[in-house]
Parts: sequence; structure tokens; C-alpha cells
Amino acid sequence: MSDNQKEKVYTKGLDSALLAVYNGYVFFLRFFREAFRGRMELQELIKQCYAIGNKSLLLIGLTGFITGMVFTKQSRPSLAEFGAVSWLPSLVAIAIVRALAALVTALISAGKVGSSIGAELGSMRVTEQIDAMEVSAVNPFKFLVVTRVLASTITIPILMFYCTAVALLGAYLNVTLNEGTSFISFFENAFEQITFLDVGTSLAKAVAYGFTIGIVGCYQGYNASKGTEGVGKAANSAVVISMFLIFIEEVIIVQVSNYFRI
Amino acid sequence: METSARKRSITVGLFVIIGLIIFIVGILTIGSMKKVFSSTISVKTIFDDVNGLKVGNNVWYSGVKIGTVKTIRFQGNSKVEVILHIEEKSQEFVRKNAKAKVSTDGLIGNKIIVIYGGTQKVPSIEDGDELVVEKIESTEEMLAVLSENNKNLLGITSAFKTISKNILEGKGTVGMLLSDDRLYNDVDQTLAALKKASANAQVMTASLSGFTSKLNQPGGLANDFATDTVIMRDIRGTIGRLNETVATANVMVANLKSASEDLNSNRTSPLGVLLHDEATATNLKGTLQNLESSTEKLDENMVALRSNFLFRRYFKKKDKEQAKQPVKEEVKAETKDSVSQ
Repeated sequence: MSDNQKEKVYTKGLDSALLAVYNGYVFFLRFFREAFRGRMELQELIKQCYAIGNKSLLLIGLTGFITGMVFTKQSRPSLAEFGAVSWLPSLVAIAIVRALAALVTALISAGKVGSSIGAELGSMRVTEQIDAMEVSAVNPFKFLVVTRVLASTITIPILMFYCTAVALLGAYLNVTLNEGTSFISFFENAFEQITFLDVGTSLAKAVAYGFTIGIVGCYQGYNASKGTEGVGKAANSAVVISMFLIFIEEVIIVQVSNYFRI
Repeated sequence: METSARKRSITVGLFVIIGLIIFIVGILTIGSMKKVFSSTISVKTIFDDVNGLKVGNNVWYSGVKIGTVKTIRFQGNSKVEVILHIEEKSQEFVRKNAKAKVSTDGLIGNKIIVIYGGTQKVPSIEDGDELVVEKIESTEEMLAVLSENNKNLLGITSAFKTISKNILEGKGTVGMLLSDDRLYNDVDQTLAALKKASANAQVMTASLSGFTSKLNQPGGLANDFATDTVIMRDIRGTIGRLNETVATANVMVANLKSASEDLNSNRTSPLGVLLHDEATATNLKGTLQNLESSTEKLDENMVALRSNFLFRRYFKKKDKEQAKQPVKEEVKAETKDSVSQ
């Protein structure tokens, strides 16, 4: 392969990457344009909320419970080293509310919901169902994309509330089994160190993650190509890209919230 | 189809509502912890150093959380103004002369403001009041004190080490007590003597007890002294009279003393002359001798006079009358007895 040919390949890769960013940007803008225009597909929105929220509740709840319990178990020896086991509820609560609940919910949802949306829309694209909708005068973007993105943006924060509650419950179970701490004492200690800024930041994160999962999944599925291979690729890309963006957002939101934290 | 959609809508609605309830309960819990929803008053304090105090840290009074730190800002030259929000229901317990200090919630806990002190006579704090601040020792100062304590502890343990070494080597009183058998024997003997003394003391106590019980028996002198009020009254009366007698005797002695002093001092008085003038005494002696010889001579003269014929008759008559006088008295006595019978 000559140098000229190598340059061509690199340029093509860079071009496609920049093009994907641009297309994503256009998709993003189109979402807002379509979301606030015309009648909302409420039934479809409820259906998607059910699919994303209710169907994920058990998985998220179980994961949150295990996370709370395991995190408490793992943190105990470190605190016990300098006799601060009584600080365990505060430590666990801060960790769950500030980071773990939102992150666990987002990562589980990215895997379950993102891939589902990507695969569903991808298969609809490759089987030309989306084109058929366009032909039959139904706005596929509004019907398919806006409802799914809104549903994930609404339900993932709610899933995070569930996840927080269940994770704290798991932590309480572990603490009370080891230290015999009462329910009231545990939650008094747990909420002692939590501020409104923590809750607000966590809520902002969950909204951002929900939107990211929805929009990335929809983008990958909506722009799927190359038949069944494209469906799998869309599902895979939806998970990978949304997870990557979730961590990027995590860093940015934590930085911004720390700016407000004195 | 429609029933399924309806059922799904209800499920989603429940899912969202329960999620929102969890969120609201969380917010309310945090709000009650941070005293966000309770009405508060603002109190100002000015510190030299707040030691890392942050907005939102707790304010404690007598170990109870009564508020939070609302604002921290610089004021003037290296001073920090801290505005505290104290809940109204605790306002009445905090006095205007209460003090504030920055402390820590536990050894490694968050910084807190501790309000303490205040007297009941002073009125309660009001909105806008300023609390007096007490400077507390920083962690470095505390560690410096701890370091000093460690040094002292080291010195004490070193001294103890030396003492224990001396004791082991039998030096000093305690060492000798532990190692010298003679000292032990002495102590043992002393203890035996003490034991004996205590036994004697016990016997003595028993005797004393018997004695006191006898004293308490009715009819005894001591018991009468203690219980019979008549005896005591008599004794008091006797003592009173004795006192009077003594007073009279004192007066008499004083008079005698004064008289003797007068006799000593006034030598011209008749007694003074008699006591002190030897010439007068000689004269008086001579006079008495003359009187004695004169009396003898007068007796002789009277005897001679009785024998004289001129007076012989007179004396005989007188003797006869004297002889009759006892007979008359006997007759009078007999007459008196018969009349009385």
C-alpha cells in the first residue's frame, strides 16, 4: 500500500467520524424540533415508558440492592481500620446518592434499553418499515424517536429513585446485620451528610443519561444499514457509545456541581 | 387491545407516582435534617479562624442540633463573619450572653458550631443578635499539647523505671521492706503488738461499756445528777450560797487587809502606837507591873480591913445573908412545882 493510498484511508476514517458527529448533531436538533411540534404520540409514549421503565424495574432494583449491600460490605474494613464503622451509613449514602445510583441505573439501562431501541429501530430501518411509515404520511421520527427518547429521559430518573431507595435498603440490611443499627438511626446518619445539591446533581445526571441512552439508541437504529448485520451493529454501537457518553457526562456534571459546592 | 393499553397506562402511572413519592420523601427528609422547612432566626458570629467550617454545617446547643451555618464571608482584617440560622423553637433556650465556638462532630467528623453557656437572668437571643466567640485550640495546638503530655509521660515512666529498679535492688525504704528480713520481723512484731493493743482496747471498751451502763442505772449518783432535777436545784442553791459566803469573806478579808494596812501606815493611832512604839510598850509593861503589885497590896489591905473591928460586923452580916439565899431559892422551886401539879 502506497503512502497516497494510506492517506486516503485515514481521510476516509476521519471523514466518516466527523460526518457521524455532524449527523448526530443534526439528529439531536431534529429531535427538539419534532418534540415541540405537532401532537404528542401519548399512547406510544406510555407504551415506551412501560417498556423502558416498568420492564427494567426488577433488574434495576436487584442490581441496586446488590450494589448497596456489596458496597457497604467492601467499605466496612477500611472504616474499621480507624474505628469509624459508625460512619458507614453516611459513606454509603453519599456514594449511592452522589454517584452509584445514577451510574448503575444508566449503565444497566444502556445495556438493556439502548440495545433494545437500537435493534428495534435498526430492524425497522432495514426492513423498510420506517420508509413505509413515511409513505403512509406518518412522521416516523416523531412516532418512533421522540417517544422513545422522551420515555427514556422520563423513566431513567424514576428508575434511579427506585435504585437509590433499594440500594440504601441493601446497605441498611448489611449494616443492621453486622452492627445492629436501628432503621431510624441508619437513615438519620445516612441523610445527615446529603445535601440538596447532591440530589439535584444526581437528578440532572439521570436526566442526561436517560436522554443520552434514548437519543444514541434511536440514532444508531434509525441510521442502521447493511441488512441484519447493520441491526446487530446498531445495537452494539448504541450500548458502547451511550456508555462512553455517560462517563463523559459524569465527569462534566461532577465538575459543574463541584463548582457550586463550596 | 384497549384494555391492555389502559392497564399499561395504569401500571406506568403507578410506576411514576411511586418513584416521585420516593423522591419527595427523600427531599423532605433532607429538608428536615437541614432545618430547611422550619422557621429560623439569623444570628451573627465573628471568628478569627473558622477551621474549615462550611455552609450547611450544623449548629449545636447542649448537644442538640438547633440550626445550620447559612453564610461564611470575610469581614474587615482577617475576620470571618458567620451567619447562623437557628430554629425559632430553640430560640428561647439560647441566651444573649451565650458563647459560640467552632468544634468537631466527633474526632474526625465535620466541623460544627457549638453554642454554650448563657445565664437564665439574661433574655433570649433575637434575630440579628451577635454571639460572643471563644477561641478554641486548633488541631496543631492540640497536637503540641499532646506532644508535651507524651514527654511528661515518658519522664514519669522513666522515674517509675528507676524506682522499680531500686526496689528490686533493695534500695530505699520500700526496697528494704521487700528484701530485708529484719525489717520484716520488726514490722511483724509491731503488728503483733498492735494486735495485742487492739485486744486490750477491746477489753477496755467493754469495761467502759459496763461502767457507763452502771452510770445509767436509776438511783446511782451519776444517774441522779443526770436525771433528778431536784438535786440539781439544791446543788445550784448551795453553790449560790457558797458564792455569797465567799463574796462576804472576800469583803471581810478586804476590810482586814485595809485595817492592817491602816495599822501599818498610821503609827500615831493608839493601836499603831501599841504595835510599833517600843517606848510606849515598855511604859505600858511597867504600868502593868505596877498595877499588879498595887493589886496585891490592895488585897492585903482588904484582908487587914476585914479583921479591923470597925468593919468586922459588916462582913459577918454579909456572910449570913449569903448563907440564907440558897434556902429561899429551894422553897420557891418547890412551891412552883406544887402549883403546877
